Amino acid sequence: MTASKTRRQFIRDLGLTAAATPFIWNLPSLGFGSQQTRKQRLVIMFSPNGVVPWNFWPDEQGERFALKESLKPLEPFKDRMLILHGLSNLVRGDGDNHMRGMSCLLTGIELFPGNIQGGSHTPAGWASGLSIDQELRNFLQSRPETRTRFGSLEFGLTIPNRADPWTRMVYAGPNRPIPPVDDPYQMFARLYGNVQDQEKLASVLDEVQADLQKVRSVISADDQALLDEHESFVRRMEGQLRETRTEIDQSWTPDLEPGVRNINDNLPKLSRMQVELLVNSLRADMTRVATLQYTYSVGQARMRWLGIEEGHHDLSHEPDSHAEAQEKLTKINRWYCEELAYLVQRLQETPEPGGEGTLLDNTTIVWTNELGKGNSHTLHDIPFVLIGNGLNFRMGRAMRFEREPHNRFLMALAHAMGHEIDSFGKPELSSRGPLTGLT
Amino acid sequence: MTDLLSYLAGVRVLRILAPLGSCLLMGWAFPSVSLGDVDARRIYETQCADCHGVEGEGVAGIYDERLSGGRSLAALTEIIHDTMPQYDPERVMGEDAQRVADFIFENFYTEEERAMHKPPRIELSRMTVRQYLNATADLFVPMLGEARVDDQRGLTAEYFSSRNFRRGTRVIERVDSRIDFAFGDQSPDPENIGPEEFSIQWRGAILAEETGEYEFVLRSENGARLWVNDMDRPLIDAWVQSGEDSEHRETIHLLGGRAYPIRVNFAKTRQDSASISLLWQPPRRVLEVIPTRNLSPHWAPSMLAINTPFPPDDSSMGYERGTSVSQAWHEATTHAAIEVANFVVSDLARLARVKQDDPKWADGVREFCHQLVERAFRRPLTDEQRHFFVDSHFEGREDLENAVKRVVLLALTSPRFLYSEMSKQELDDYDVASRLSFGLWDSLPDAALLRAAADGQLRTPEQVASQARRMLQDHRARSKLRHFFHHWLLVHRAEDISKDPELFPDYEPAILSDALTSLDLLLEHVAWSPESDFRQLLLTSDVFVNARLASFYGLPIEPDVDGFVKVTCDPQRQAGVLTHPFLMTGFAYVRISSPIHRGVFLLRGVLGRALRPPPVAVAPDDETLAPSLTTRERVAIQTRSEACQACHSMINPLGFSLEHYDAVGRFRTTERGQPIDASGSYRPVEGEPVEFVGARQLAEYLAGSDEVARSFSQQLFHHLAKQPVNAYSSTNLDELTEQFVDSGYHIQKLMVSIMAATALEPGGADVRSE
Repeated sequence: MTASKTRRQFIRDLGLTAAATPFIWNLPSLGFGSQQTRKQRLVIMFSPNGVVPWNFWPDEQGERFALKESLKPLEPFKDRMLILHGLSNLVRGDGDNHMRGMSCLLTGIELFPGNIQGGSHTPAGWASGLSIDQELRNFLQSRPETRTRFGSLEFGLTIPNRADPWTRMVYAGPNRPIPPVDDPYQMFARLYGNVQDQEKLASVLDEVQADLQKVRSVISADDQALLDEHESFVRRMEGQLRETRTEIDQSWTPDLEPGVRNINDNLPKLSRMQVELLVNSLRADMTRVATLQYTYSVGQARMRWLGIEEGHHDLSHEPDSHAEAQEKLTKINRWYCEELAYLVQRLQETPEPGGEGTLLDNTTIVWTNELGKGNSHTLHDIPFVLIGNGLNFRMGRAMRFEREPHNRFLMALAHAMGHEIDSFGKPELSSRGPLTGLT
Repeated sequence: MTDLLSYLAGVRVLRILAPLGSCLLMGWAFPSVSLGDVDARRIYETQCADCHGVEGEGVAGIYDERLSGGRSLAALTEIIHDTMPQYDPERVMGEDAQRVADFIFENFYTEEERAMHKPPRIELSRMTVRQYLNATADLFVPMLGEARVDDQRGLTAEYFSSRNFRRGTRVIERVDSRIDFAFGDQSPDPENIGPEEFSIQWRGAILAEETGEYEFVLRSENGARLWVNDMDRPLIDAWVQSGEDSEHRETIHLLGGRAYPIRVNFAKTRQDSASISLLWQPPRRVLEVIPTRNLSPHWAPSMLAINTPFPPDDSSMGYERGTSVSQAWHEATTHAAIEVANFVVSDLARLARVKQDDPKWADGVREFCHQLVERAFRRPLTDEQRHFFVDSHFEGREDLENAVKRVVLLALTSPRFLYSEMSKQELDDYDVASRLSFGLWDSLPDAALLRAAADGQLRTPEQVASQARRMLQDHRARSKLRHFFHHWLLVHRAEDISKDPELFPDYEPAILSDALTSLDLLLEHVAWSPESDFRQLLLTSDVFVNARLASFYGLPIEPDVDGFVKVTCDPQRQAGVLTHPFLMTGFAYVRISSPIHRGVFLLRGVLGRALRPPPVAVAPDDETLAPSLTTRERVAIQTRSEACQACHSMINPLGFSLEHYDAVGRFRTTERGQPIDASGSYRPVEGEPVEFVGARQLAEYLAGSDEVARSFSQQLFHHLAKQPVNAYSSTNLDELTEQFVDSGYHIQKLMVSIMAATALEPGGADVRSE
């Protein structure tokens, strides 16, 4: 953990705005804004190193399709799924396929030339444009009716303390990668820290006053007025805190198991903690855009809890003929899918506050990956699996495309949220407009 | 005429005494009343009291300001002789005027007399903002350790022939004086390192001089990372070099007078060329490569630097003090307590020096809490306090972190922490320790001081003095003295200064920034030399300059000099701080010098005379309206009215003696084609008027002036003790001044004397109350 914090970090951790905050800080938004139009939410979930195509993609197209092994956990939500097969990351330029797979995935634009050398190709730097989630964040924050406290939240899981094009997929702009928060306690402090601090403070104010009284008795009579004044401030603060406390429904703050260390072996626990925080932040309308990044491109998660000792990236290099490796890779992807299914289930069982239905009715999750397939490092057939009804797409289908630039899909996400952009990322890849046939 | 009358009143005071009470007081203050005095009183009562009140307190509707000020007795006599009483100035003249002036002067005119009528006392005081910030940082010294900064400067550098600091590839270890390298396509060491790829790590500490926001700028066409203070999280992570983006900036809040750990990692990987520079912009300075003098090659621990903004302290008495509280202050301290609590739980294992999976974790954390609360309160806890502040929070709570947070919040919002001066009528040894540490360091007592308190070694003035001498060696004492000097020399005045670019085309902000550094170096040089001779601050012809300053001010310097060096100048041109470019630039306008600002500074700041603010804001005449006049002539004309002259007859002649220095502090011999007239004069409160020409003669007069020694003693006293000097029965300013003069104007010894005279005196009671 940290020894001390920069002002920037401190304010970020508290979820405070940089402006001088009044003492009773802005609380998590509990007013649900305008209820006239439904809320639309987008969650982008990432897992790395490609998939095993024959265990992932359905054989059929249209509404009648069967889920393969890797996607089996989503069976209960099949009618709310939309599987897009055949989208390609055609951005090209500097950087190896892992780097471009990651940093062009949500930006759709080239990396700058730079000093980061991958396993092949030329060295490269950061993406030269912002990512679609940030584009949507900016759009939603620009309108009072869709503005939220955070605008977007970037969740991560076991991401190394290293900033490079393999570990960052979210960009606020050219050369401005946004680090995901992979420590649930840090995320908790950001979401709820102020409330917790106020609670803690309120709980000691009686003792503060008792202490003031004691000190008052030992100082000279002429000076007691000063302490009386001091005490009046404490009493006023106590009153303010009492008022705000009644407005906070404690059940809105999730309980996290304490002391879970941020290490590989705790990935299953950490994943559930982050999902819980994510669901709660959506429910409290702290944000309508979120990303959930499991490890990173070339990530080496060792899924010992599945009986897999090898690192994920190493395994992904094994040839198709290596059946045991392919089986393990399928299991790994299935595990990620289970975490996705858990998130979907949590959204489905959480009623939409102040609205109808559940969170899942107003949230679309996009599960994606930086590669189509690990051993070939292909940027074709990038997985895009959609679940939920936050966007007005026609769900319950598997669709097939032929090497369509994924920029068109990113544009379609924006259009579906009411942000009708003409182009996104590399202009020539988005010239044919948003991907059609989704609605 | 009424203007002039309103001037006579001098400084306004807050308290008006009831006549009866003050008569009694006067009897106490002046036990033997001579016949002459009685006569003078009779004159005053019959001729003056109708307008000025029996005790000079004023009369509502006629003349409602107190009759007090900083004019000399002679000047007062002259005014009474010439103008009083207003309805018939010829009624009180000559000897009568002198007697009544004596009476007024002795009884209520000067500040000291007023103070004797209502003796101040040592008041309950909270920590000032500066004390609060230092105290919260020093809370954790026992747990995190303390920086050991010696005289060596620069950063420890390790050069590797690999791009990733691989073990076994380290080929050079040395101290680099700064980080500012352009390797181009070359290797930093062609014998041991190939030009294709290499990596370098710099480590050490950064020495921040002032409190405020520091912007760090890392420039590199390669990969680089910078850590400052927080060694777990880079302040700047530019490991990825991307596109044209080769400059990265981040701002961090640092407390002045402290060392912070710093690390820079750098690597070149198959790029065409390599370069790296580390710059910063400290408060009131321009962006520059971090100078060698601000770098230490040795480790320093991370430190807590509170970010919560605080409302400024009350400085209405001429020094920051904590004798009042406000809503904003209370909120700031509460906010800051939360900040400290969050800091503690975020780093609990390191602070408590026990691992989370250690069976002793819970005990270790609780012990840490005891330690922290004792440190915050500057004394051992009683059993009852131990339970109230620490143990009770651990009972029946499974979540340790919550208990710790409660302990920290309670301790840091307690008056036992927040109040530096408890105004108790009986001091114990720990109170004395706190007096010493807040007095000399603006911070908490250290372990040695607390030990001395525990051993009963802080009971005599000699023991206190001996501790004070030890404490002066600490960086916190230097920092406090620097803070005082900045306050004394009104350094903040120069904050937003600008000069006419047409008149001074080669003047740039860097000159002012360098000049402030030059001033600081001079102050340190004089104050911390063995002689520590205050007079040298006024007399020395040494100036610290770098190449840029030397060239701008035309001072002699070796051509290839690096950083700042001390040069000895023509004594006719340089006289310590009086002619220092920073002050001369600050006490000046955009185009012209300001003899008035300079004179007011000399009168108030150096000679310690009181001045009223002008009754109306007067804009200086635009010098372009009468282009043939010198500044001296224009000021003389503008302030020639009798109303102005009441004060300006003292201000102008002092300021004029510095007319050799223009608006940017450069020496000149002519202005607008006319030779500079730097003749000046001064009439002391007691003694004969003096005349001088130019800065050197002025400096020599001031260096020998009792008023100056007294004023400096008083200001330093207030800055250390943060209570009025006459609140202490066991000391008085005259004695302190005498000791100061006898010691050869030794600044450090004066600090020791002040502590020895004050640390043992009980507070709270009205020690001279009626």
